[in-house]
Amino acid sequence: MKFSQKIIANLKLGGADFFLSVPCKLLANMITILENDKDIYYSAIPREEEGMGICAGAYLGNKLPCIMMQNTGIGNSVNSIVSLLQLYQMPVVFLISYRGTPGEPVGAQGGMASVTEDILNTLRIPMLHCDTEQDLDKISTFTNHAKVIESPVAVLCNFNLMKDD
Amino acid sequence: MMNRFELLNLLQDTIQNEFVICNIGLPSQELYKINDRPNYFYMLGSMGLASSIGLGLSLTIDKNVISIDGDGSVLMNMNTLATIGNRAPSNYTLLIVDNGSYGSTGDQKTFTNESTSLKDVAIGAGCKNVIECSGEETNENLQKALADTNNSYVIISKIKSGNVPIKPIPLNAVTIRDRFRKEIGLVTYL
Repeated sequence: MKFSQKIIANLKLGGADFFLSVPCKLLANMITILENDKDIYYSAIPREEEGMGICAGAYLGNKLPCIMMQNTGIGNSVNSIVSLLQLYQMPVVFLISYRGTPGEPVGAQGGMASVTEDILNTLRIPMLHCDTEQDLDKISTFTNHAKVIESPVAVLCNFNLMKDD
Repeated sequence: MMNRFELLNLLQDTIQNEFVICNIGLPSQELYKINDRPNYFYMLGSMGLASSIGLGLSLTIDKNVISIDGDGSVLMNMNTLATIGNRAPSNYTLLIVDNGSYGSTGDQKTFTNESTSLKDVAIGAGCKNVIECSGEETNENLQKALADTNNSYVIISKIKSGNVPIKPIPLNAVTIRDRFRKEIGLVTYL
């Protein structure tokens, strides 16, 4: 719970005030925190791609949106990232539970894990890797960076960091 | 029956001062040609997401938001009807222009021409105030939806397929973004 609290606090400190998630067990504590936070909007949604659309609308209405999802959700969302968020230069923070990284018990997650960073690199999306507790302190500046550069950014939280939280 | 161009013409008095998110392709190009407005957000990509973008906007501002979508696009992103059914605020209206065809790609038929009813899908997804009507009845139903400050609406306007010859929208995406946000009151440098 400590890391989850730190992540949410840093996202909010960086300006994020509108949250969506397609749930993941590594995000469960963060979702509980957000569900009880009266200062921000939060909802679970069925699919990441529609989340990119909802985030785009929330940005038009002056929010800094954050969508929380597994790295698999990037695969579901490529066109909406390029042809909506990047085309119109809309800042959105992707808070990604990075399944398939060392410590992961589900072998099948390895496939998307092996291509996730290549996809994000191809899309020119800045990445912040969170492997240790200290890395989480960088999230607030990185969140604000999305607003400054008017672009999506991705925070990748490794399995080993989050699994015992 | 009227086509989409005629319907969009008919709706202008009702929508021209509202925040509108318009579907990619011919719907946006026709709307631009009929009556270009800074409070119209034209989608240049991401087919399927007009409904979702409008939902996100309606959750963050107090004014009415209308998503003008198509049957083909709703079929591409049907899960968002469940999000709308559970989360849409009262200032949100989804207008589905259902002409039974993929108009922008050459009028290939969609499944609403066969067994699929978007009205039944929307109701099953949890949407309230789902109205299916003719093109002629659409303006009146849309006015009712906009005037109702307690409920969101999904209006399915059944029209015929067909398009008018038209050019791509000449506006840059960031121009569309900024002039739209200026209407909301967020951009002061234009």
